Amino acid sequence: MSFLNPWFLLAGLGIALPILAHLLNRFQVQRTDWAAMRFLDRAVRVRSRQLKLRDILLLILRCLALLLLVFALARPAWKGDAASWIPGEKRAGVVIALDASFSMEEGEAGQKRFDRALKQAAVISGKIQPGDPVTLLLLGGKERLVSHNMAFDQGRWDALMQEVKATPATLEWDGVPKRLAELAEEMDASAKEIYIVTDTQQRDWKNLSPEFHAALKGVQSQARVFLVPVPGTAANLAVTNLELVSGTLRKGGVARYQATVRNCGTESVSNVDVRCRVEGTQIDSKKIPLIAAGASETVSLFVPFHNAGATRITAEISADTLEADNIRRTVAVVRDRVSVLCVDGSGGDAGRLITAALMARGDAAAMEESTVRSIPWLAFPAEDLSKSDVIVLADVPEVTEEQIAQLARFVREGNGLIWFAGDDVKAASWNKHATAGDNALLPGALGSVVSTSDAIGAGKPLDPAMPDHTVCQPLQSLAEDLLSETRFLKCLELKPASSSFTVLRLAGGDTPVLLEKSLGRGQVFQFSTTAQATWNNMALTPVFPMLMQQMVTYLAGREFERPQTVGDTLTLSFVEQPDASDAVFDSPSGETLTVPVREYRDQFVALMENADEAGFYLARVSVQSAAMPVAVNVDTRESDVACLSKEELTERFKGSDVIIAEDEVALAAAIDTTRTGRTSWRFFLLAALAFLLIECLLADRLMRRKGADAADPTMPAGDLGKQNA
Amino acid sequence: MSIHLPETQYLDPEVLQKIGDLELIAREVVQGLRAGSHRSNLRGFSTEFAHHRQYSPGDPIRAIDWRVFGRTERYFTKLYEAETNFDCHILIDASSSMAYASGKVSKLEYAKFLAASIAYMVLKQRDSVGLTVFDAEVRDSLPPRSSMNVILEIDRMLRIAEPRPKTAIAKQLHDIAMILKRRSFVVLISDLFADVDDVMAGLDHLKFAGHNVVVVQPLDAYELEFPFKGTWRFEGLEGEEPLTSEAERLKESYLAGLHKFLDEINTRCMGSHIDYTLTDTKRPLDAVLREIILKRENPGGTSTPSRS
Repeated sequence: MSFLNPWFLLAGLGIALPILAHLLNRFQVQRTDWAAMRFLDRAVRVRSRQLKLRDILLLILRCLALLLLVFALARPAWKGDAASWIPGEKRAGVVIALDASFSMEEGEAGQKRFDRALKQAAVISGKIQPGDPVTLLLLGGKERLVSHNMAFDQGRWDALMQEVKATPATLEWDGVPKRLAELAEEMDASAKEIYIVTDTQQRDWKNLSPEFHAALKGVQSQARVFLVPVPGTAANLAVTNLELVSGTLRKGGVARYQATVRNCGTESVSNVDVRCRVEGTQIDSKKIPLIAAGASETVSLFVPFHNAGATRITAEISADTLEADNIRRTVAVVRDRVSVLCVDGSGGDAGRLITAALMARGDAAAMEESTVRSIPWLAFPAEDLSKSDVIVLADVPEVTEEQIAQLARFVREGNGLIWFAGDDVKAASWNKHATAGDNALLPGALGSVVSTSDAIGAGKPLDPAMPDHTVCQPLQSLAEDLLSETRFLKCLELKPASSSFTVLRLAGGDTPVLLEKSLGRGQVFQFSTTAQATWNNMALTPVFPMLMQQMVTYLAGREFERPQTVGDTLTLSFVEQPDASDAVFDSPSGETLTVPVREYRDQFVALMENADEAGFYLARVSVQSAAMPVAVNVDTRESDVACLSKEELTERFKGSDVIIAEDEVALAAAIDTTRTGRTSWRFFLLAALAFLLIECLLADRLMRRKGADAADPTMPAGDLGKQNA
Repeated sequence: MSIHLPETQYLDPEVLQKIGDLELIAREVVQGLRAGSHRSNLRGFSTEFAHHRQYSPGDPIRAIDWRVFGRTERYFTKLYEAETNFDCHILIDASSSMAYASGKVSKLEYAKFLAASIAYMVLKQRDSVGLTVFDAEVRDSLPPRSSMNVILEIDRMLRIAEPRPKTAIAKQLHDIAMILKRRSFVVLISDLFADVDDVMAGLDHLKFAGHNVVVVQPLDAYELEFPFKGTWRFEGLEGEEPLTSEAERLKESYLAGLHKFLDEINTRCMGSHIDYTLTDTKRPLDAVLREIILKRENPGGTSTPSRS
């Protein structure tokens, strides 16, 4: 037994009062001399023992009434079958954890998993007594407490449930039991119940971590745990990726995007249509003949850009039972042209090769799409960097500190820098100005030039194992023999900084060939080799133009082009403080969110946390400025919607006290069976009142009982004198 | 006669002032003096000449003293001592039951004051008064005397009279009835807490012996009202076994018994032509004395016991 208001038990000390009154009253029999004894009816004499018994009986009644009242106020509660003979109301505090991840949207209209979950929640709420505490937690992305220890009221509950919706977010289960334990702990109830309503996806529930099981066990020490599965079909197609593979983001140009479609189901799906839209207009479509169960297939979508500016691109498949992952979004910032400035320290060789690589298409259209200018490095100080989008430094011996700062600013503004090593590069000077500190310009510190030739004098090829990087994608489509034709005889030792990333390395070792780092809104690429053919034959192979064009395209892009995932923080950054102090984000549903612009690490950023909708957000530094679209996609890990079967679920929780309720009937029965926690304060209150009433009536009767009831009714009253003498 | 009080404890000048016009007269004398009253039954009564009084119409012709007429040619009637002089015996019950007092004045104290006032009244009208204090037996007795000094003796006796357990009212009445030779006033002041039959037998004995009997029954207000509440232990003043009980439960039967007792006494006194007055000890003495005198003058009038 426990008490919901244990402090009231202190009032039980008040039982001393009637006992004290009883003790005092024992000595309060008054005495008097009396002359007219003959007229007193001795038949109504009260012996001391009668008085004692009477007083003790009244004392017991008073004490009982007081104790029962104290009990009632302390709100006693029982768990299980303890004291089942005492009537009480089955009450419990309830925590409902509702899976609201986007997998719960799987299903036909009206029969989606989330709809069925709401029905189960209605069954649960139907068993909650008015006034009992109830907490509703929506799981998925950032958790939402819809109600927290709310005293249950059906009308208010129904209104809350009307607003509850699934989110396009994923759900990570590891921290859920701990959170449920916290919510149960906060609840003031004699008996507690936790209901986890979820579709029990295989990806989550098949291999629950030991930490999860341990945490769940901890929860069960506080509350009865019910698992309410609302499974669905496993069949689901999802567009898991849409990325720029090749081409240029220039007005009049065409870019090749690759869309990946995964079959999350257990059966093959054929003839999957993939449509590509640009600003809502379909511009391409492909058909995937067959996608095997569990497999992914890619299609190339060619996107022509007729206009400059930020362009919204989507790849969609036909609607299936889960629509959230049927579309993938990205943004391309199309430029009129990309300007590349090549600062040549090699005497002209590097510039020619770089220009040729970037202009590999060699046609007039290509000439219009980009400009590549090559200048000697001594002319660099006089150059206006604002006219360029990408700067290539090829075998530049050294630059001044001011020039380093200028280049850093250039990159921070969202532009790109490509640095090539060379015979004339003065490592010490570069290291002094451009590689020290977290905000260093170059991704790696320069070392000495080392030979990478083998015994026969052949240079090392590139490592075919490449990271999943936009820059590497064209190379990954090359045949391996073509890739291995590119040989590197010498390399500059580079020591990558912690903030750098190795994009390419030589085969058979960790020698980096290409490093990348982000600086502000831009990126910097650093080669450990030359652009000219002195240290390698890269320029003589398809690798060089593919690499250069891909890097320029990549560097010319803006952060807006990189799709985000639901739950991510959207960022707007500025090198200089913008005119407005707030940035504005318009959500896909039309909601406008204003966030302040703050200074952070030599930049000014506006952060919108937890993008909770999938779609295109529009970000602008002020209401008046032009908006930049930001693509937010669902996390397609949640697209694997296959659920555990009933048998698998039972097996997972075998031996635990978790109650699995498959349907509404089973859930209702389980609640009725297991809800044995009772509170009986009403019973004790009524009992206290009853005892008080009995005590009052008895006291009155004992006080006022007529002597005639005890006297002999046949004897005249006057003879009492003789009788009593 | 002016009031000249010696130093006494039980004579209150204020009371005496109020009762100054009262006279305790034998009923037979009252009957004889009434104009147009019933034939007097003075036969056998002592006729010692006392003094003359001027004739008033209605006085008996045979009472006219013709010798005085011969001398003075005016009519005077003879008054005999037997018509105006009587012995008054005041009997005070000094048993323990008379000691009860709910306030400052016990029944015995009240009776003492009453007795002293009656004694004074009798002495003032030049009659004789005596006092007997009794409980189970006579404790003290003073034969009737007519000298005013007897009041001092009476006061002394009253002062030393203390309540003692047990009472024997009836025995004392019978004894007194045996002792008295001439018709007297007998004033009994007692709570009469004894057997009614015995008490009435004693009173009847006196009455049938030709005495004027007056009974004054002083009771305490608590005895008349029984206002007790709660649990009380009643301890008898005359050795009765104590009784512990709840007063509320006793009250109804007690009052019923008491009233029945009082009614019986009143009825039987009326039947025996005994003047009976019930009073409570809070009642002013002069009011009680007036009631006693009034009953003497109007024997068929109010005889309801005064119950407050």
